[in-house]
Amino acid sequence: MIALRNLQIGYRQRKKAIPVFSGLNAEFGAGELVGLMGDNGVGKSTLLKTITGTLPALSGGVWLNGKNIGAYTASELAQQLSIVVTERIGGFNLTARDVVASGRIPYINVFGKLSPADEAIVAQSLEQMGIAALGDKAVDELSDGQRQKVMIAKSLAQQTPVIILDEPTAFLDYNSKHQLFRILKALCEEQQKLIIVSSHDLDLMKPYIHRSLTMEEGNVMRLT
Amino acid sequence: MLRSRFILITCSLLTLVLALALADLSFGSISLWSLQGDEVMFSTILYDIRLPKTLTCILAGSGLAMCGLLLQSLFRNPLAGPYVLGVSSGASLFVALATMVLTSVNISGVFFAGKAIIAVYSIAGAFFVTLIILAISRKTKSNVTILLVGLMLSQILGAAQGLIEYLSNADKLKTFVMWSMGSVGSTTLSDLAVIGPLTAIILLTAFFLVKPMNAILLNEQYARNLGINVNRLRLQVITITSLLVGIITAFCGPIAFVGISVPIASRLFFKTAHHLHQMVFCMLLGASVLLAADLICQLISTQFTLPVNTVTTLIGSPVVIYLLFKSKLSIG
Repeated sequence: MIALRNLQIGYRQRKKAIPVFSGLNAEFGAGELVGLMGDNGVGKSTLLKTITGTLPALSGGVWLNGKNIGAYTASELAQQLSIVVTERIGGFNLTARDVVASGRIPYINVFGKLSPADEAIVAQSLEQMGIAALGDKAVDELSDGQRQKVMIAKSLAQQTPVIILDEPTAFLDYNSKHQLFRILKALCEEQQKLIIVSSHDLDLMKPYIHRSLTMEEGNVMRLT
Repeated sequence: MLRSRFILITCSLLTLVLALALADLSFGSISLWSLQGDEVMFSTILYDIRLPKTLTCILAGSGLAMCGLLLQSLFRNPLAGPYVLGVSSGASLFVALATMVLTSVNISGVFFAGKAIIAVYSIAGAFFVTLIILAISRKTKSNVTILLVGLMLSQILGAAQGLIEYLSNADKLKTFVMWSMGSVGSTTLSDLAVIGPLTAIILLTAFFLVKPMNAILLNEQYARNLGINVNRLRLQVITITSLLVGIITAFCGPIAFVGISVPIASRLFFKTAHHLHQMVFCMLLGASVLLAADLICQLISTQFTLPVNTVTTLIGSPVVIYLLFKSKLSIG
């Protein structure tokens, strides 16, 4: 489903390439929960940005269902791949349901009107994450654990076969961390989604993930 | 927000705007209804003075509130607004340049041509500042930095304007200062025939941004992932706001307060994040606020007309401070 081929990731500054990590080769399929591991600063977030198409590859490429990620239009990609990032969101009267409903944005008209079918998908996504009762609550009022569930529910509403999460356990307490991984594992197994999660907490992830990609200094990559 | 609730609030606000507009038309140095015997006087006051002013309040109020809403959502910061970010100051400075340095432009002229030139300068000034803000917003992720830069820009532009004022002669200075105090009373029906439809079209265009604006409320990363072209959205918001602020500032002077406070008040009153709803509410609330401010100007004194800026700020700001403390939820 997702293939990294001779991938070199990094940044470009005034046409000069600044590589972060080179020689990434891997292939992941549907139904897999993939743990992306490595110390802070090794390039996990850069890799995730490259996989989501936010950052162009320096060389090599990311292939999604046999098509280069760069060849997708923004709206095509929005229906293939969804993200959960570390930055907290909220304010402006945003309720949990508003955030989850934003997952339908790739599918709805320019005035943002949800059809009854869209509404049903939003309700179902809230239900699946066990936060149906929090729908009308302002996102600001939620705990960090609840917030993460809202963001994952948004990804579910977006109905993408691939979900990418960057350090989703960063703000969570012990129990919420484990609960989050139980949920992610269940999603992979029940809905055949490919979920890639980055974390520097190896011990936490190990019991849940199906596969792991470890990045180490000096372009060393280990794949299980 | 439920559809029925949206319709109910919209109808209530529409009624409020209509009632305030009617009151604004009726009251002034002479009550319109006392003139019913005198046809000529009645129609002169109604068509030459009151109606243009009332319509200007509605256009300027709804336009500035829309700008504030778009900017606050784009920067995800309730402190953003055309005045705070220096957009109004940019428009102001360019008008100062046009009226006091380039001697050929006559601001006090009743002819549309003079005002159209002012409008071009005013739009250019607004666009210039918004572009700077946009460039800075791409260099930094911190919204606080952007707002601080906006405030500094305001100061710089204000100082430059002060310099022009200092070097200008008394006559030109007076016309400029009068303009800069903000007035909704200097437009004519023929001006409105041009700026009315223009403003209305720009406001309608904003409704095509509902979906991307809803997405950007999460953050830029999420918006991109939802298929939104964030760079294009920024450019669209900048264009719409500088056109609106430019046109409104050209004809009414820099009107403070409405742009920043109406969206804040609207979010406090009406608990919805959806831009289709907030755009409608902000426009109607903005029109009401400016109509009310003008009405208060009229009622305080029948001898002279107060500049509308003094009223919007003196009465409006404490109201917003009160609302902010009253509400437990954060509005931004």
